[in-house]
Amino acid sequence: MRCVRCRAELYQTNSAGVDSAVAVAISALVLLLLSNVYPLVALQLNGSVRTTTLIGAALGLYRQGYASIAALVLLTTVLIPLFQILSLLYVLLPLRLNRRAPGQNELFRALTHLRPWAMPEVFMLGALVALVKLAALAEVIPGIALFSYGALMLALSGLASITPTEQFWKWVEGSRA
Amino acid sequence: MTTFVMGRTLGLLVCGHCRATVRGIGSRALCPRCGAPIHPRRPHSVATTAALLVSAAVLYVPANLLPVMHTHTFFSDDDDTIMSGVIALLHEGSWPLALLVFVASIVVPLLKLLAMGWLLFAVVRQSPGNALQRSKLFRLVEFIGRWSMLDVYAIALLVSLVQIRSLANIHAGLGALAFGAVVVLTMLAAQSFDERLLWDIPSDG
Repeated sequence: MRCVRCRAELYQTNSAGVDSAVAVAISALVLLLLSNVYPLVALQLNGSVRTTTLIGAALGLYRQGYASIAALVLLTTVLIPLFQILSLLYVLLPLRLNRRAPGQNELFRALTHLRPWAMPEVFMLGALVALVKLAALAEVIPGIALFSYGALMLALSGLASITPTEQFWKWVEGSRA
Repeated sequence: MTTFVMGRTLGLLVCGHCRATVRGIGSRALCPRCGAPIHPRRPHSVATTAALLVSAAVLYVPANLLPVMHTHTFFSDDDDTIMSGVIALLHEGSWPLALLVFVASIVVPLLKLLAMGWLLFAVVRQSPGNALQRSKLFRLVEFIGRWSMLDVYAIALLVSLVQIRSLANIHAGLGALAFGAVVVLTMLAAQSFDERLLWDIPSDG
């Protein structure tokens, strides 16, 4: 449904229920966990191997004195997605039982504001650029986390399309009865 | 032709967060459904957006002139700016990636600064124009903004991976700091701009 004047999307409708949202959120949580446990990429040069993880990428910047960009990287790749997934579960699980989580409204508003700041898809492209640059220098071996983070990217965009803001408030109003 | 009525003429407001339609209420009202503050137009939208945009424009200069990365290898020492990084990718033969980085890191930030500046100017001067086109431009800017973070992530990965004794080391440069700030500031500028202001400009006709 689009506005007849400015053609902006007025609202999205979908048939997915709270259960599908919870299922996708749990998968996303598992994928995010995997992405932080396993190495992202390994670099092999003259017999020495170096690996890095998601948090390691932020840590590298921090160690060189760039705490603010390190924080930006950590927030947009790990912490904001984690907050999104956890707070969505916190709000949706009670909703399934026709209850309301304390602080539900404030949490969901924060979630909506933070949505553009979770950037797994941008990170994946950035990783591609870095790997191409490194391939000229040394042997690059993609790690498990690279794949699980790619899957997380899909899960998060799926989650966003199942839980548009309007849909969430419809669920809230439906559970009042 | 489809017709429309503006909520304001009916004394209706729409909640900026949950999109509930609320019957006309005074200032400082809260949405009865989600509790978010409701305003006919976001307060101080023009001033906030302008402040963020000017800061971003100032930092755009060091972001492009200062090196974002310093590469030390056994054979050479190189400083890379954003543009020289693009050229390096081009020399390595991956022109699709070079084009991608060029668009995400150079075209997008510049487009955001120019487009947002132009839209703000139109609102402040109340200069009549095609509101639909302006609105679409704003939504484009809002949508593509985050993709400029691409280079920041690439730098973060390179910095943390390439620390192999004296053989090869990569260090981040001050340009990366300025560049990251430009991305964040322009994103915040787009978020604080109230798109409806574009439609409040009286048209010529």
